[in-house]
Amino acid sequence: MTTITLRNLRKEFDDVVAVNGVDLTVRDGEFLVVVGPSGCGKSTTLRLLAGLETATDGEIRMDDRDVTGTEPKERNVAMVFQNYALYPHMTGRRNITFGMNATDSFTDEEIDRRVAEAAETLDITDLLDRKPQAMSGGERQRVALGRAIVRDPDAFLMDEPLSNLDAKLRIQMRAELTRLHAELGTTTVYVTHDQTEAMTLGEWVVVMDDGEIQQVDPPQALYDFPENRFVAEFIGDPAMNMIDVAVEGGVAVHDAFRIPLPTGETGDGKAIENGTPAESFADPDAGNRRNAVLGVRPEDLHPARDRPDLGETTFDATVDVTEPLGDSLLVHCSVGDATFKMGAEPRSSLEPGETVSVTYDPERLHLFEPETGEAFYHSATAPVTSDRLERVAND
Amino acid sequence: MTNAIQYTKRRFEALKGAIAGDDEDEPLAVIGREESVSVHLQLWLLVGMVVFPILVAVVVSTKQQGIVTSLPDLIPGTYAVENYREAIVDYGFGRFMWNSLLMSVVVVVGKLVISVFAAMAIVYYRVPYKDLVFLFVLFTLLLPVPVRFIPLFQLINDLGWGNSLLAITVPYLASATTVFILRQHFLSIPNSIVETAKLDGVGPVKFTLQVLIPMSRGVLVGVSIIMFVYAWNQYLWPLVIIDSEANQVAQVGLQLLQGDVQGGQLSWSLVMAGSVLTLLPPLALMILFRKPLLETFAIQQK
Amino acid sequence: MSTREIFDGRLEAALLLAPTLLVSVVFLYYPTALAFRTSLFDAGFGRAEEFVGLENYLTLLESSAYHRSVAISVLFAALVVVGTITVSLYLTFLIHEVDDGQGWYLISVIWPYALPPAVAALVFLFILHPTLGVLTGPIEAVGFDVDWFNDGPQAFLVVLLVAIWKQIGYNVIFMIAAMKDVPDALTETAELDGVGRLRRLVSVYVPIMTPTLFFLVIINTIYAFFGTFAFVDLLTSGGPANATNVLIFDLYREGFSFFNFGVASTKSVVLFLVVAVLMVIQFRLTEEYSYYGA
Repeated sequence: MTTITLRNLRKEFDDVVAVNGVDLTVRDGEFLVVVGPSGCGKSTTLRLLAGLETATDGEIRMDDRDVTGTEPKERNVAMVFQNYALYPHMTGRRNITFGMNATDSFTDEEIDRRVAEAAETLDITDLLDRKPQAMSGGERQRVALGRAIVRDPDAFLMDEPLSNLDAKLRIQMRAELTRLHAELGTTTVYVTHDQTEAMTLGEWVVVMDDGEIQQVDPPQALYDFPENRFVAEFIGDPAMNMIDVAVEGGVAVHDAFRIPLPTGETGDGKAIENGTPAESFADPDAGNRRNAVLGVRPEDLHPARDRPDLGETTFDATVDVTEPLGDSLLVHCSVGDATFKMGAEPRSSLEPGETVSVTYDPERLHLFEPETGEAFYHSATAPVTSDRLERVAND
Repeated sequence: MTNAIQYTKRRFEALKGAIAGDDEDEPLAVIGREESVSVHLQLWLLVGMVVFPILVAVVVSTKQQGIVTSLPDLIPGTYAVENYREAIVDYGFGRFMWNSLLMSVVVVVGKLVISVFAAMAIVYYRVPYKDLVFLFVLFTLLLPVPVRFIPLFQLINDLGWGNSLLAITVPYLASATTVFILRQHFLSIPNSIVETAKLDGVGPVKFTLQVLIPMSRGVLVGVSIIMFVYAWNQYLWPLVIIDSEANQVAQVGLQLLQGDVQGGQLSWSLVMAGSVLTLLPPLALMILFRKPLLETFAIQQK
Repeated sequence: MSTREIFDGRLEAALLLAPTLLVSVVFLYYPTALAFRTSLFDAGFGRAEEFVGLENYLTLLESSAYHRSVAISVLFAALVVVGTITVSLYLTFLIHEVDDGQGWYLISVIWPYALPPAVAALVFLFILHPTLGVLTGPIEAVGFDVDWFNDGPQAFLVVLLVAIWKQIGYNVIFMIAAMKDVPDALTETAELDGVGRLRRLVSVYVPIMTPTLFFLVIINTIYAFFGTFAFVDLLTSGGPANATNVLIFDLYREGFSFFNFGVASTKSVVLFLVVAVLMVIQFRLTEEYSYYGA
């Protein structure tokens, strides 16, 4: 049962800054996912946590212990690697017990009992006497998990553990990890580059880019209230459409369309750091004009004839390409100098070159600063939970 | 670096395929029967040329006189046992072989142990200047025996090691090639496995004995064969430093036989028996362990 | 980003490195340094050492016998390299192309790697012996007089043949790996284009195998300079009339027949320079052509 706190954590390799001042709290028993593109510093952060790298600056605490400079074995963490890291010459059982023997802190009976328990939990009893090359990828990862849980560590650190599995197995193992976490309740930090994995697994998700934390939120809040363009475009597939507009008197104006912005409230005000919302742009009388980037997810744009319920405001766009996805039809459109993608009903008859009238969900509009990329407006109101307030205050 | 490892791995696979004879793989070239026959014929011819001299040696070693002046004389004789016995017992070849074996085994074991130590330090220890140390070891590739055997001769005699097992083993113990191959292999062991050991707090001794060595079996066998062949086939240095027949190695023993046969005191069949004897140990090891040997060669050439 | 350096103990590391470093310094570096030093002295058995500066080097520069030895060694090395690479390459290609029995062909071609040079020399001495040789009869039957005990060029040729024979195995080992590495798609493309077998070898495989071939050129050159002592010693003793007196044999004689350690050391230094230059060339070429392999 462990809370992990990172304070202003920095890691430099020669002249490359891999982790640039990360502040983060991983709460006791939480399943926290760190997601970001490759090179964003997420793996380095995890390795700093494990003690495999030494921090250039900053502090790592586990509960009340400062572990910043300590050896990995003193941190009592278990790590699961992408390539399983099983010793090829040892059986499953030997792999699981090898690290326990190293510390001498377990008796033989204790080891046997724990291995039996872990094997039961992970359903790997029949793999214990096999060597890794006689196991499938999924089986290997189970044994690797067994090795991690058998030591009853204070925290699990997982570095892309599912990335080497095929798609079907990955989905299955995802559910299994969730179940395992529910059962064990051990603090878990899970690193992945796959935003779907992050959304499905994480109770809380940290989005990183360029060595810095971009946003920390539960999955739905990340999707609904991205704090900047990076998060908006990284989370969600297909990515959010970004169109340069001007905001004038509460209306997003583009050469080819005008979209009135519902009067937004800023909720706790934290998600919208740069915004001075009501006065500057949502108020129809404010009149001052500013440039902005309008963000709308493809799934929040529709052909007007599909969704008459969304209101009167529509604009005309030209269909460029259509991509049937099975459960929907992804339509690439252009309007003026802008292009965007839109979700349509499957089996819609939309032909390239055709003009289509487009409507949108007024609750799902976002505006970003053109220079900094910071969000300053969401048309929906962010939910205020004590949970979230606490975390944001902590960070 | 990763590329290099991938490259090495692919070489591994390629070699494995070649050794296993990989009959399951469809031959890439869909070759016609005629062409196929021609390839086989050419191979038979060339293989014949490569093997012929040794076949002659084997045949002659079974004959009474060893006078073979025309191809029809190449029918095996019946004096094999007699000839080999005579070479081994009467002409001291047993002694030479034993000396060679002793030298080779000491060199292999000694080199292997100290090279594993060195590669271990170079790969797994965080110490300053270790790249320089590695370069220092690698630089010895420029100093083969012929470049330094004259001062080495003086040095060994000054040490009082002349004519001893020490003289023909110790100077061979440092090996740039072995350290290099082991280092390359250690670098190809996945990082995460090494890191798992660190997370578990596995110490250097346990790591070496239970992780590193079991994961390096093939390479250790491979470099051992390379080192054995190298040590066994040494000629110049033992010739120079060993001056008593009792301590001489098989290679130089052959030279002694040759002197006798040139002087007319010895039949060629005995010389050929000695040659076959000298060839057997390295050849047997090579054929027996050809798989790890070839895999190790694949590492050597970066 | 990730690290293998999982241990910190500096003392431990030093102890692990100590044996290799100690042997390197005492038996490799120190004698080499000694060779450099002795090359500046007049030295030999039972003689007082006398500093002579660069006189030994000047002696070598002016010695026509030494010049001849250099010329013979260079010619010998060139022929060994060309002969070995050509034969090995063609053999490798045949093994690569053959449809079955690949493993057997391979082992029956690479075994000379294990062949002791002394054995190779003695076997050739026997089968090509001017009076007793089993091949002498057939060769003389086609009108060629086998007389290499007295005929310099013939002796040179015999040593050359042994040297190439012994080295084929080692070359094929590396070539077969390199040839297997050529992407299948290239072979298939060449076949679809109707490129003939030999042209495929020359125009497709050889360029891709360039790094390996360079490596082998250097290895074979070093072998020709340093690994052929036993052949010369057992077959010709440098003769007849110094026709096979390659540098390494010349050096041996200077030291252990004439006991001129000073001049012999000078000759060692020259050989060291030869290896050094070859190694530098190999290093450069490997760097330059490494992209072929990657």
